[in-house]
Amino acid sequence: MRNLFAQMNLLSKLSAVWMALMTALAVFGWLIPLPDPREYDPEASAAGLFSPGHLLGTDAGGYDLLSNVVNGARTSLLIAFISVGFGGLVGSAVGIIAAYRRGRLDYVVSTGFNILLSIPNLVLGLALVAVLATSSDPSVPIASNRRVIIIIIALTVVIIPILGRIARGATLTWINREFVVAARSMGMRDKDIIVRHIVPNVLPAIYSVLFLAVGVVIVAEGALSLLGVGVVDGVSWGAMIARVAGEFTYAPQSMYVPVVVVALTVIACNQLGDFLRGRLDLREGRI
Amino acid sequence: MNSLTFKFIAVLRRVAQIVVVIVGSTLFVSLLLQLLPVGLEDLYVFALDEAGRQEQIRLLHLDANPVMFYLYWLGDFVRGDFGSYVYPTGVLDPVAPRLGAALPISLRLVVYVQIVALAISIPLGIFTAYRSGRRSDKVISYGLFTAASIPNFVFALLLASFFGVSLAWFPPLGYTAPGDGFVEHLRSMALPVMALAIPTVATYTRLLRTDVIATLREDYVTMAASKGLSNRRILFTHVLRPSSVTLFTSAALNMGALIGGTLVIEQIFSIPGLGSEIGLAIFSRQYFALQSYVAIIAIGYVVFNGIVDVAVGFVDPRSRERSNA
Repeated sequence: MRNLFAQMNLLSKLSAVWMALMTALAVFGWLIPLPDPREYDPEASAAGLFSPGHLLGTDAGGYDLLSNVVNGARTSLLIAFISVGFGGLVGSAVGIIAAYRRGRLDYVVSTGFNILLSIPNLVLGLALVAVLATSSDPSVPIASNRRVIIIIIALTVVIIPILGRIARGATLTWINREFVVAARSMGMRDKDIIVRHIVPNVLPAIYSVLFLAVGVVIVAEGALSLLGVGVVDGVSWGAMIARVAGEFTYAPQSMYVPVVVVALTVIACNQLGDFLRGRLDLREGRI
Repeated sequence: MNSLTFKFIAVLRRVAQIVVVIVGSTLFVSLLLQLLPVGLEDLYVFALDEAGRQEQIRLLHLDANPVMFYLYWLGDFVRGDFGSYVYPTGVLDPVAPRLGAALPISLRLVVYVQIVALAISIPLGIFTAYRSGRRSDKVISYGLFTAASIPNFVFALLLASFFGVSLAWFPPLGYTAPGDGFVEHLRSMALPVMALAIPTVATYTRLLRTDVIATLREDYVTMAASKGLSNRRILFTHVLRPSSVTLFTSAALNMGALIGGTLVIEQIFSIPGLGSEIGLAIFSRQYFALQSYVAIIAIGYVVFNGIVDVAVGFVDPRSRERSNA
């Protein structure tokens, strides 16, 4: 791990530090004494940076921005890590098995991936969240905890075909390599070949995409909030963005904080993904 | 088998694939309605007497099983009936005219973005490739990588607050139809187009740069240079064309992502396109309309990608050989 960090260029190092900081805020942020993210300060509406009591200022509604960034990190990164982790696990398992078995199973799986990928990922997520988050009484919206779960489910469905297709493609390049053919001809069981020979070789390709996928999910969470189906009544980065988007005509300065936090996080994810992919190419080149 | 029949069969196979994906994705969206935690009857049947209820249930095909429900929808869809908004009074407001008004606005936005993005990224891609490895290339390339990672709504909000509110060069909200003054129309589209174009420019420039660098190593480029052709002439006539296949393919394939992007951008800038219609359909719980909107996006995306695939095969023989091998 330390080795990996030492190999990074400056930008990747900064990205790793930023992601570590955000993750730490998500996990331990509740220990920091901050105002309640959902309690507005009637004295300070749209306060600027470094105003008393509000380090990053407040938005037009008087909500403390720092507290929302810290507490929002928990929701947003929870959504991102769970849906990417779970979607990546399911997607790559299905993709690897389909590519290894070939034949009808592969046809069904890859057609399934193509079907899900034929709907632009934001539209797919939007449709899933909109349908699943319908409450029986329009005047009583669904509680924000349940919304978070629904968004995780929807974005997992979005991630599965993306990772699945990459895992399938990567597996196809390995199944005819000499050592796999040799293992098969020596009578090694399919399950062992996949676990011992395929998975370790496919994983590096998946790791780099996982970071990109975290970026995709963070963007999607923001976009869903802007479209009114995110964790709108809760505390998340997307909810912050949606709030400031409605207020930017009269409180533009409070917009910069959530916008910069989201942008930096997505840039960091892409940078780390790019770094891992570069390492992968190096490794391939040595073979 | 001669090559023409071979080509024909390849196209036919591609068409069959496209049909399978279209049926699959529309069926998927249709089945989605069965996942609603609320019954469709509770949402859309408002008549109080039993006879009226039965009438409405039959009219909306709510008594059909999921597969039949899909087939009814598909039958209507291919005949140009995209379903209706159902109001509590029992009034049906057809989707088709709303779609007819909204879709051209979104398409216009996407086309403007493509034009602007290509117009900027082609010279920029050639320049960075030509200066590859030097400081100007490094600075631009790093900047573009960063720009490509920033979500378009971030650009949208920054542009709206800076050029729309602080400087007031462009209207920060709203849409003017081209019929009501073309200059005003362009002004109202400027910020949304920029918000979508900046990340797109970044992606396209990176693609073109890679291909131009590869082409510059070709022998015929050295040959052209040794014959004394000017750099400009070599870059734009001998290098650009063979290097641009990846760029134009990805630009075409990027349509789907851009349509997804317009949903959010339209919402931010209050542009009455498809995104706003979808937002409205979700807000007012009109899932029949949502079904048709999502289906149209999916079909458009799949058909467009298919056409691009086949077209690239015709334009660039190398990709054809690869796919036949």
